[in-house]
Amino acid sequence: MRSHANSAARPASTGQVVMYVLLTLFAAFFVVPIIWLVFEAIGVHLGLIAGNLGIWLFNSVLYSAAGAAIAITACIPAGYAIATHEFPGRRALLILTMLVMLIPTSALVLPLFLEANEVHQLTSPLAVIVPYGLFPFGVYLSYLYFHTERFSVLFQTARSDGCNEWQVFRHIAVPLSKPVAALIVFLNIVASWTNFFLPWVMYWSTNTTDRYPLPLGIALQLFSGETSGEYLGVVQLHTSWPPSAIAFLLLATIAPVVVVFILARRWIGSGHFQGVFR
Amino acid sequence: MKRKSPTRPRKSGYLFIAPYVVLLVAIGIYPAGYVVHLALTSLTGHFTWLGNFIDSTHNSEFVPAFENIIKFLGIWLTALVVFVVSLSLMLHSLNERVGAAFRFVLYLPAALAGSASVMLWLFMLQPGKSPWGFVLSWLGYHTLGDSLAPAHLPVIFALIAFWSGAGSWIVVMHGALATIPEEVLESARLDGAGAWRTAVNIKLPLIKKWIAYMVIGAFAAGSQLFAEPQLISEATGGIANQAWSPNQLAIFLAFHYDYFNYAAAISVDLLVVAVICAAVVLLRTGLFDVGH
Repeated sequence: MRSHANSAARPASTGQVVMYVLLTLFAAFFVVPIIWLVFEAIGVHLGLIAGNLGIWLFNSVLYSAAGAAIAITACIPAGYAIATHEFPGRRALLILTMLVMLIPTSALVLPLFLEANEVHQLTSPLAVIVPYGLFPFGVYLSYLYFHTERFSVLFQTARSDGCNEWQVFRHIAVPLSKPVAALIVFLNIVASWTNFFLPWVMYWSTNTTDRYPLPLGIALQLFSGETSGEYLGVVQLHTSWPPSAIAFLLLATIAPVVVVFILARRWIGSGHFQGVFR
Repeated sequence: MKRKSPTRPRKSGYLFIAPYVVLLVAIGIYPAGYVVHLALTSLTGHFTWLGNFIDSTHNSEFVPAFENIIKFLGIWLTALVVFVVSLSLMLHSLNERVGAAFRFVLYLPAALAGSASVMLWLFMLQPGKSPWGFVLSWLGYHTLGDSLAPAHLPVIFALIAFWSGAGSWIVVMHGALATIPEEVLESARLDGAGAWRTAVNIKLPLIKKWIAYMVIGAFAAGSQLFAEPQLISEATGGIANQAWSPNQLAIFLAFHYDYFNYAAAISVDLLVVAVICAAVVLLRTGLFDVGH
């Protein structure tokens, strides 16, 4: 989260990128045998699923990270402008934002499916990434955050000192936005990581299993046994996996959220948001 | 904040909102408009007024799907109101540290589980596997088929939704209770009101708006039910009908029959419910700052 804010301020050099790639490769060399051991011990043959699991994990990380990047790029300036600028349509935009924020995201899934189908993007990663980037709640949080007397005095002072609008935003509002940006990224990542309906509709309907995010892949693949489609009176879980393996995989889908949750508690518990969550 | 500063910038605001407005149109407004358009036209593109809405109700799955969702909503909303409100009031009467610890525990599934919660509950409902096996056996359920009998499904989906969703509402209620001024509670104490009287006569009326918000918000979200019946259906090889809920029915019609116009009509039914609920929360409860 912080690295996102930092990298915005100072782009990583090529040398640094190479360094991180090398470190990741070495880390994989050291850790993979241990992961294999854990999986083998609970009866999951890693070799059989590694391909799919790896792709799904990559998809999940890609969708969540790209969605959060779009959300933060859209939410912070929009909330800032609604809070500190005066333009025709400002109040209408705020009300529309809150209206969309209060509509459950699942109400728009079928419409989005029909739209993606129309523009032939059903099997593209964009079919879920772009919708994850629309985060009206983040705009509302950003608006509440900037909507204070203290900040507007600060921005006015910068203007009278000769800053243009872009400089006020870039050098004052953006650095100030870090806590609310962290909260928006956290809430957005949790929402997109656990989203089931949208990727299911986009990728299951087109049988694009290599686009599944991890939770969807695990849920659908684990239970992809011989589904007869009709109720035969005998109910059992359609899976050839041992329960310990399923439990482990479910834990694996939850684990990244736990990590983000622990990271974000630092920010959310720190009193920055006493006024935001009324 | 109320008086406008004469130098408050205007035009540059459009640049800052541009990326968001593009997203809002592409992902919110356009698809909503497109689905309404599909719902009002026939396969060949002719305008059919409410034809699709009427025809979609003739589908043999239409009435059962709405009956299922109403049963589910009845159970779930009752459970939310009764348990979330009483748990929140109980937690608010504890000292801050103990209350915070309990809130954290109750919020954990809401924060973490997501779609994993359905899979997890398949095990919780399986006699012989479940840590709650003694409860299942006391109820007389000895196989997964007993637990998942079709008549139980509304209760089971409500149970899963409650486990994975009540914690968020308890946090919201805590936020609402925290806004009650200490002097109000102090004077209630001085007047001799006990914990029970304070909770029922002082705190409860002060959080009424938030309870209304929860009921409307949960109704809107619950009417969209999809993941729970879909996953249970997949995992058990079809114990829950593939069109158990209205949202499932819409998807089913779209995928299996290419009845996009009927699917769009059902989707618009659900969207209208969601928009009305959102508008009521926004404009009637006064909980949100709608700008000056």
